[in-house]
Amino acid sequence: MDAEERELLEETLRKTMTATPSGGGLDAALTELGWPDMLAEEPSAAIRAVFRLLGETGAHAPLVNDVLLYEMGRPLGGALPMPYAGGKWVEWSREASVTGTAVDPGLPLLSVAEGAPVPLTLGRQALAWWLLGTGHAMLALARRHVLDRHQFGRPLASFQALRHRLAETLVALEGAEATLVHADGELSSLLAKAAAGRAALTAARHCQQALGGLGFTAEHPLHRHVKRTLVLDGLLGSTRELTREAGRVLAARGAAPRLVHL
Amino acid sequence: MTVFSRGMAPGPPADTYRSGLRAWLDEHDLSPGAGYDGSLDAQVAQLDRVRRELWDAGWMRYGWPEAVGGRGGPSALRAVLGEEVAARELAEPGLYSMVEVLVPTLLSYAPPALATAMVPRLLSGQEQWCQGFSEPGSGSDLASLTTRAVRDGDTWVINGQKVWTSLAQYAARCVLLARTGPDPGHAGISAFFLDMDTPGVTVRPLRTMHGVDEFAEVFLDDVRIPADRILGRPGDGWRLAMDLLPHERSTCFWHRVAHLYTRLDRLLDDAAAPGDEAAALGEAYLALHTVRCRSLTTQHRLADGARLGPETSVDKILLATAEQQLLDTVRDVLPGAVELHDSAWRTEYLYSRAATIYGGTAEVQRNIVARRLLGLGKE
Ligand SMILES: Cc1cc2nc3c(=O)[nH]c(=O)nc-3n(C[C@H](O)[C@H](O)[C@H](O)COP(=O)(O)OP(=O)(O)OC[C@H]3O[C@@H](n4cnc5c(N)ncnc54)[C@H](O)[C@@H]3O)c2cc1C
Repeated sequence: MDAEERELLEETLRKTMTATPSGGGLDAALTELGWPDMLAEEPSAAIRAVFRLLGETGAHAPLVNDVLLYEMGRPLGGALPMPYAGGKWVEWSREASVTGTAVDPGLPLLSVAEGAPVPLTLGRQALAWWLLGTGHAMLALARRHVLDRHQFGRPLASFQALRHRLAETLVALEGAEATLVHADGELSSLLAKAAAGRAALTAARHCQQALGGLGFTAEHPLHRHVKRTLVLDGLLGSTRELTREAGRVLAARGAAPRLVHL
Repeated sequence: MTVFSRGMAPGPPADTYRSGLRAWLDEHDLSPGAGYDGSLDAQVAQLDRVRRELWDAGWMRYGWPEAVGGRGGPSALRAVLGEEVAARELAEPGLYSMVEVLVPTLLSYAPPALATAMVPRLLSGQEQWCQGFSEPGSGSDLASLTTRAVRDGDTWVINGQKVWTSLAQYAARCVLLARTGPDPGHAGISAFFLDMDTPGVTVRPLRTMHGVDEFAEVFLDDVRIPADRILGRPGDGWRLAMDLLPHERSTCFWHRVAHLYTRLDRLLDDAAAPGDEAAALGEAYLALHTVRCRSLTTQHRLADGARLGPETSVDKILLATAEQQLLDTVRDVLPGAVELHDSAWRTEYLYSRAATIYGGTAEVQRNIVARRLLGLGKE
């Protein structure tokens, strides 16, 4: 896919995600748009475009299932148990009737019994792109707000304490994106998910603060991104668990693998 | 970037260069010899030797134009070389990388004949150079510097003081900023290429907190610099200083990251039960992996001909944070190693405290990200 094709695809995806109700509706619309073929033909480009945009638009669809099924070489469609932080297991339902009890009320996530082991590399990349997009969505909301709102006769954006929080957020997101662009194996994808989870949690903390009382209201969109971040961070391993796992790999090998090269 | 880069030879592919270099280094061990005591004198002598041998064998010549003794090829080859030097612990990367900051500056701003005459001396280990920017009254607010240069016939007469000038006590030349115009801000600053043995230059080494006294004060009393030693035109000094930073943050950073990986490996060796410290080791590794990936992205942009700018502040923040986190982890995982024993860890831990200060402080970097990358307007 060249840059122009990617842009076109992203534009179409963005429109679809903003115009279609999340969940089953968006699931069907993306299938209609050719998501299964895209995944089969250019998995990493498809995952990157679709999941990042889910994050940026705040939409959701049960596509992580497909990514895992694809990596297992099984037909797409349907749902399967997925590992969650703390040894728990969840299923991201594709049934219209399911509502679930996740903190993010839109997500039809069900706690289920331990399932069969699943491959994690592509799934972690997908969730990492999603977290990255979510982080950027929060940063965009906070940035707009600090430029628009005045206190003490000045824009909030002129206060260094807030500027540094938002700078910190951008740095974390940019760092996570670099790890994602270079994620091609098991360990590099694990690290990318950890970096993206950390970045999105950083974004949630700083952007929530910058938005003040407004960001605490249910009318403002921030809380949906914050809650989504919390849920996605735990899926297929949380930032905390994944970094510990990376540390175990280092301890076992007695050396730090250099995963990317000039 | 300059007249020199036109028609530069393409050079070998990075992989070919790397495997050739590794084979050569396997045959020619440049590790510090038996008498090496780790003192700054010994470090600088070792650095000279490494540069000289690599220059004589040709490895040091790639990535530089032929007019300064180079053999052409992309700057990525210099990144590969520095990575290998760091990975084999042949020279301290901070000292080694001075060339990455000062040579591109000379190539961009010096009269071609001056660059042709001088650059090979630095690359081949004949000389050390230093960077005289900071002053007692002007650190982060570099544009407020007050060292003055006054034109007198075909010389400039310089008066003022520089401080924290790394390697000034070893340096034969200095890239110096001084105020030439009446304008109190950026516009009045010019850059000069000063011979450190010029009468009126006094260097007084400063003690550092990590015991490697790498920087000095430089006093300038009626120092006369020939007019053809100005870099660029009068008033170009600020632009030169800004152009220099991205160099510092591309190839140099790749070297430094490679160096930090060797420190993490060493920590894994030294830790009694690394498995018990998995969380902290994983965090340190994640931070290093992140800056390595970011630095690789920057290298790719450089290779594609991009002009590096304020986005390199992201690289700088990631690197400084990762370096301090790694050394904090060392202190946690090896209790007493820093506090109770006069070890390399002590020196490295203490030196890591400077990572958020030199090359633009952590706060100044965040100011740049907020202003230039996030578009938040003025403070
Ligand atoms: C090991 C080492 C090597 C060095 N080598 C060289 C060299 O070779 N050549 C050279 O010219 N210089 C060198 N320096 C100097 C270095 O560039 C300066 O120390 C640095 O620019 C900071 O300036 P300062 O020390 O005056 O601190 P200050 O500018 O006084 O800053 C002190 C504190 O105030 C904060 N601060 C300042 N302005 C702002 C602001 N606008 N917003 C928020 N916070 C702010 C800073 O972040 C910092 O925390 C070196 C320094 C070190 C430590």
